[in-house]
Amino acid sequence: MRRHHLLLLVLVALPLLVLPPFLSLGLQNTLVSMLVAALFAVSFNLLMGQGGMLSFGHAAFFGIGAFATLHLMLAVEDGLGVPTPLLPLAGGLAGLGLGLVAGYFATMRAGVYFSLVTLALAELLHTLAPQWDGMFGGEAGMSSMRMPWGGLVFGSVLEVYYLSLAWVALCLLLLWAYTRTPFGRLTLALRDNEQRVRFMGYDTHKARLVVFAVSAMFSGVAGGLLAFSNEVANYTTFGMPVSAQVVLHTFIGGSTVFLGPVVGAAVLTLFAFFVSDLTRSWLLYQGVLFVLVMLYAPLGIGGIVELHLRHMRELRWRALAGPYLGAAVAGLLIAAGFVFVIESLAVLFSSDYAVLRRDAGGLPPFPFLGTEWQPLSPLTWLAPLLAMAAGGWLASRAGRRIAPLWDEARRVHTQGGETA
Amino acid sequence: MLMEFLVVSVLNGAIYGMLLFMVSAGLTLIFGMMGVLNFAHASFYMLGAYIAYTLSALGHFWLGLLLAPVLVGLLGVLVERFLLRRVHAFGHAHELLLTFGLAFIFEELVKLFYGNFPVDYRMPEALRFTAFTVFGTDYPFYRLFIGGTAIAMFALLYLLLSRTRVGLVVRAAERLPQTAEALGHNVPLVFMGVFGTGAALAGLAGGVAGAFFPTSPNMALELGVIVFVVVVVGGLGSLEGSLLASLMIGLFSSFAVGLDWSLAGALDAVGLGGWAREMGGLMTTTLSSIAGSVPFLLMLVVLLLRPAGLMGERS
Repeated sequence: MRRHHLLLLVLVALPLLVLPPFLSLGLQNTLVSMLVAALFAVSFNLLMGQGGMLSFGHAAFFGIGAFATLHLMLAVEDGLGVPTPLLPLAGGLAGLGLGLVAGYFATMRAGVYFSLVTLALAELLHTLAPQWDGMFGGEAGMSSMRMPWGGLVFGSVLEVYYLSLAWVALCLLLLWAYTRTPFGRLTLALRDNEQRVRFMGYDTHKARLVVFAVSAMFSGVAGGLLAFSNEVANYTTFGMPVSAQVVLHTFIGGSTVFLGPVVGAAVLTLFAFFVSDLTRSWLLYQGVLFVLVMLYAPLGIGGIVELHLRHMRELRWRALAGPYLGAAVAGLLIAAGFVFVIESLAVLFSSDYAVLRRDAGGLPPFPFLGTEWQPLSPLTWLAPLLAMAAGGWLASRAGRRIAPLWDEARRVHTQGGETA
Repeated sequence: MLMEFLVVSVLNGAIYGMLLFMVSAGLTLIFGMMGVLNFAHASFYMLGAYIAYTLSALGHFWLGLLLAPVLVGLLGVLVERFLLRRVHAFGHAHELLLTFGLAFIFEELVKLFYGNFPVDYRMPEALRFTAFTVFGTDYPFYRLFIGGTAIAMFALLYLLLSRTRVGLVVRAAERLPQTAEALGHNVPLVFMGVFGTGAALAGLAGGVAGAFFPTSPNMALELGVIVFVVVVVGGLGSLEGSLLASLMIGLFSSFAVGLDWSLAGALDAVGLGGWAREMGGLMTTTLSSIAGSVPFLLMLVVLLLRPAGLMGERS
């Protein structure tokens, strides 16, 4: 098992270390945002997945980290002797500070009320920031420049990338180490049964506050890295879309596994980069994916992978291969049909097509995927609908064959656990 | 001058408050019954506005107002029956996240069909006249129309819940769902009905208000957070509390816009105004410029000191 993990780590780390110099500037920038999103999501998940506290205002700590780092960068520009690579530390400190204050109040409540307190806190900052020139630079926001340090210029994206990689790796290592400490185990207990922890003699308010503050601190580092890379920030960093994005990353990636949020952040950031030129509906697909995960796979991508790894030996892979292939084909069919419908609608309801329609005086054929499609022809709509229906049928068939195989594997797994 | 400011602010604030109430009524009912904080609720408001806009663009303004609540209510029923009920077993956090994802999808769908910009949804000419003149300013009739719709709705809802048999079953299902079920009432059906009704009310609010306020894909997010403030301050699950909180927030918003009070101004009274003005920053920030933040401050204070809200019974 150890060897497995090491191999996996090398497989992930090697491309991250070696590939970037050969990539385009746009992709290098995307990789920086990916790293930032990954760290942000893992810090968020410390609170959500491990502590059981669903925050809807984590942008507050991300944003405060960004602004604190910019303030320090401005001070360095004026000659303060702080080494440039250490700048995101300011973000961490600011996140910790705000996390202690906000967390003190937020952790007084649990469940939905906790979520509402965090939401209100972030919105408070979001509405105050544009009015507060000295602190957040007003509506325009703040900007600064990275100063050279110790032979490093920090002028290129590549230098920023490697610095971010180092910071994110270090922070993930620390966060992982946290889960191995006794307090890390206590965090899980707080999620599962707070009352019991209280009866064991712990001050649960204080314990939850610590979890909150640690999560806020690492979110602040993530925000600091973003500010370091962009050299600007404005009040929208506190906005609901930022808080929402981290929720989506975490749950699509899987909140039950430590590295699940990293998977979610990586997949969604990279996918957005590659398809954002092709479609404007990318956010729609992301939302649909999120809802599908909530409905059918609450464990998320990471959780599903982890489940397979755990049952590696008990699963009958040869028998599963067929149905899994069927499920994959079904997924592709459904996705292809759905994307076709949405993209066709996007063309038909675009302003470009409105002009075409006015000129033609009817419903002219629309260009898509290199050919022309008749908007009123049944073929145009029947084909994707049939693909989706076939996919649905195939999926339910595959599901029926997969379920008993998994039941068996689980049974063997628990029996093996008892005899061992 | 002062009198004019007072009267106009009260009128505008009360009507904005009534609009907030139309949207928050459904949200607070759903929370009270099912414990679900519905993030997609403001999206129902937006969808109502867009449905009504579509029909009014075809020349059927009144049909739009009629169909907006019906269609949005149906959508709410479908969401509850086929989506929320599926994840109910996973717990409240899961339900909340699902509605959160739905809000995302609704917003993107609206952008897909109508574009990422405000649409030109306006009331018909017949409704565009001046109701009366206050201090030389014409007061549009349509504002009164919005307020009147909200009042009619509140009266209807109140009578329905307190005077009819259906209302009795709904209240029973809210208080003691298991007992109500044991007595032979179909509680899941009641939940579905309440969810659909709540969505329909938001849809109606969207159809009515969208013609006066801007109708854009942002309207759900903008109103959504304020509606959360309203239900929290009023007390999650309390209809009367929602009404009170809606009016409070509505009046506050309309008064704050016209007031240039600041901390420095307040400190003038004790002779520290000059010092405060030198400090700058928050000291000289006027009330009008931070009017947007005050509701959230209020929401925080209520959540921390009295989570049951102004009129709520439980916390």
